[in-house]
Amino acid sequence: MIDFPAFGAAISLLAGSPQAWIWVVPGLLIGLVFGALPGISVSMAMALVLPATLYMDFLPAIIFLTSVYTGAGFGGSIPAILINIPGTSSAVATTFDGYPMARKGLHSEALGAALVSSCIGVLISYIILFVLVQPLAEVVLRIGPFEMAAIGIWGLVLLGSIGGSTVAKGLFAAAIGVLCGTVGMNTAGYMRGDMGIPWLLDGVPTIPAMVGLLAASQLFALVNAKFIVENKENRTISLRRILAGGRLVLGSPGTLLRGSAIGVFVGAVPGVGSSIANLISYGETRRSSPDPESYGTGNPRGVIAAESANSSSEGGSMATMLALGIPGGGATAILLAAFAMHNVIGGPRFMEQNRDIVYAIILSNFAQALVLLVIGAGFVFVASTIVRLPLRYLIPTVLVMSTMGAFAIEGSIAGPLTLLAFAVLGWLMSRYGFPVAAIVVGLLLGKLIETEMLRAYQLAGGDAVRVLDYPVAVGIILLMLVSLALSLRRDLRRRAALKTDTAAAVD
Amino acid sequence: MTKPIHAVSRRQALLLAAGAGAALAAPGIARAQTFPDRPVTLLVPFATGGYNDRLARAMAPFLQKQLGQPVTVMNRPGGGTVLGNTFFMQQPDDGYMMMVHSAGPYIPLSILTRNARYKAEDFHMINLPSRDLTLAAAATSKGINSIDEVVTRLKADPRSLSIGVQPASADLINMALFLQAHGIDRSRVRVVTYDGGGPARTATAGGHVDVGFVGGEGFLPIRDRIKPLLMFTDEKSTDYPDVPLLTDHARAAGFQPQSVDGSQRGFVVLKRFVDAQPERYRILEQAVERATKDPECISTLGNQQLATTWYGPEASNRAYLSSAAVMAQYADLLKQA
Repeated sequence: MIDFPAFGAAISLLAGSPQAWIWVVPGLLIGLVFGALPGISVSMAMALVLPATLYMDFLPAIIFLTSVYTGAGFGGSIPAILINIPGTSSAVATTFDGYPMARKGLHSEALGAALVSSCIGVLISYIILFVLVQPLAEVVLRIGPFEMAAIGIWGLVLLGSIGGSTVAKGLFAAAIGVLCGTVGMNTAGYMRGDMGIPWLLDGVPTIPAMVGLLAASQLFALVNAKFIVENKENRTISLRRILAGGRLVLGSPGTLLRGSAIGVFVGAVPGVGSSIANLISYGETRRSSPDPESYGTGNPRGVIAAESANSSSEGGSMATMLALGIPGGGATAILLAAFAMHNVIGGPRFMEQNRDIVYAIILSNFAQALVLLVIGAGFVFVASTIVRLPLRYLIPTVLVMSTMGAFAIEGSIAGPLTLLAFAVLGWLMSRYGFPVAAIVVGLLLGKLIETEMLRAYQLAGGDAVRVLDYPVAVGIILLMLVSLALSLRRDLRRRAALKTDTAAAVD
Repeated sequence: MTKPIHAVSRRQALLLAAGAGAALAAPGIARAQTFPDRPVTLLVPFATGGYNDRLARAMAPFLQKQLGQPVTVMNRPGGGTVLGNTFFMQQPDDGYMMMVHSAGPYIPLSILTRNARYKAEDFHMINLPSRDLTLAAAATSKGINSIDEVVTRLKADPRSLSIGVQPASADLINMALFLQAHGIDRSRVRVVTYDGGGPARTATAGGHVDVGFVGGEGFLPIRDRIKPLLMFTDEKSTDYPDVPLLTDHARAAGFQPQSVDGSQRGFVVLKRFVDAQPERYRILEQAVERATKDPECISTLGNQQLATTWYGPEASNRAYLSSAAVMAQYADLLKQA
């Protein structure tokens, strides 16, 4: 599967070209900064630097863009952990446990865990890309609407009731999210709920809505606090503790591997990408854990699961792009555009004829993962100083930055208005004990499920029995039902045991 | 007080110098001309990286050479170009902004299906060098070898094959007219809708649907995975020289061929501006024409698979308006997916 002469050529290509290296560090830094700014997504960061790559050679240009990709993939987790606002939509699940860890004073450990799981995630995904690019692409291309709908439903079931005081409130919040996610034109060309506002033609702008929901619910909850970390002794900025967080990752290889596998696979499916991978990996880790209740209260495994998945989806989507010439999402679409700007047509023929360049890109990404470890450690070390910043300075700064980020997305006032509207919604919901995270999950997954269900319905011609023609989809649904039944049985047993315990105690 | 005035006059002097330099470099432009005296923007109503964006960025340096002013690219995606078009309508008629746009079919489609408030006639085409045509294709794994096979199977049982297409698109009109011509009941065919050419192509190449009706250009990178069945045009395509054409197919089947272009892309301004500022419009038109015909531009863009044919405003407007008229005529076909 590995073409060794091409591999050798790739090494000499990289060794003989300082041009290919000088852009790695700037790329990672640009990615980190843009990824960490709330509102700027991975693909936007890449779009911003795309015009600059016109003036570079092909290989340095692609390496520069993938460095931004790698950097931004991790950058999003920094505000997710420190202030509960995911810098990109791929870091939503990182907030679930990362922020509670930060509030407990474990911010350094959380950042370290996120960094190391991101780096290892990138590394694993590119190793898979290196070895299995063709088979992976073949499998992914076969994933149709039925399978996608099943995956989406699985995600919603795993996360629909996340963080709620009761399941009913969680499901209610998720339903609101799904409802908001279906505003705009559906895949069949019908307009719903746009209220005649042209800005809603493409639906509710996801990133400002998400930032608004999470920022409002958290920042208002912090009104009486003086610092993010209450306890003064815990407000440390320590490289040693960041590294200790990294070691936590090595202690949970199972979580890391599962997250990376989910990330590579989900990231490779065209049209899905890292934000869904991030959610599904988190949900799956929580479900299969012996103590699901500890998730959402600052379990480092939650951070590891979330971050290994969103980073490893980079390798997955690169596989689809390189082997099929299909952009799986915004980031790879930009990479393909960069290919085109350098007179290169991506796709299977490019892969066959330029294996050395493909290997050089992959090898450079191995290096990027390692460089990210160093640069990222420095970056989060600096970033973690915000735990020392009094909230009365931090909160207004974050609000201004988020609003500017929301404006930057489209360059219009629609973004800040969306942020404001969803901030009010988020505040109301959290005020009455509804889990805001579930709205975000609904918002992200609702559109996917609706689109794929509709296509599945069209494909079946309205005939429900046709689902049996798609064994993979049926398999996923069955697996989901079995795993749900098992968790339910475990919960019931535990509850029964608890009851006998308390009964015994009373006796 | 004097300082800022100084700064301004110095900048003006620099601009004049730059303008003079450019005027020397491009002798065709009169030296006394004052327009443009500041940067010109190319507005792309799509996200970075698409065909129009690439065309705009590739053309920018050559336009810059002709206009003697920096040319920058601005992206304003969203709402099937409604947001970009509306933004463009709000700009002053000073000629400092041109659009690089898939004018056909996006402008007429946004009017017909998204209730946009402008009219197709509000826009004026300078040149539409690029055309993308609807291609009917099947995954090679499907074993479908010809369009006649598709027609025979659909005639026998409209539910036997699924078709992937974008809603509210030129492809949908072509598909609907094609099925109508063959007397196949479209409401009984399993039509699967994809919100974008990319997803529709993935679904076709991956065999999720049996046949896809979608712009042919995007299929080029995955050419090996599909069997092209029919091009919706009357002249041979350079991308797919061996693929049967609609005109030939229609003649054999005994119906009148009718189709619309999938995409007509190029430089667009407002009709309002052409009427209000005819001299400035002339300058822009000339700049686009000279840049398009620049041999260096032709080779650079050709390498990037970007079109540089000069059709001129007359032919471009005619093509744009006639395809808009066909779309308006079949607007009812667009309403039902």
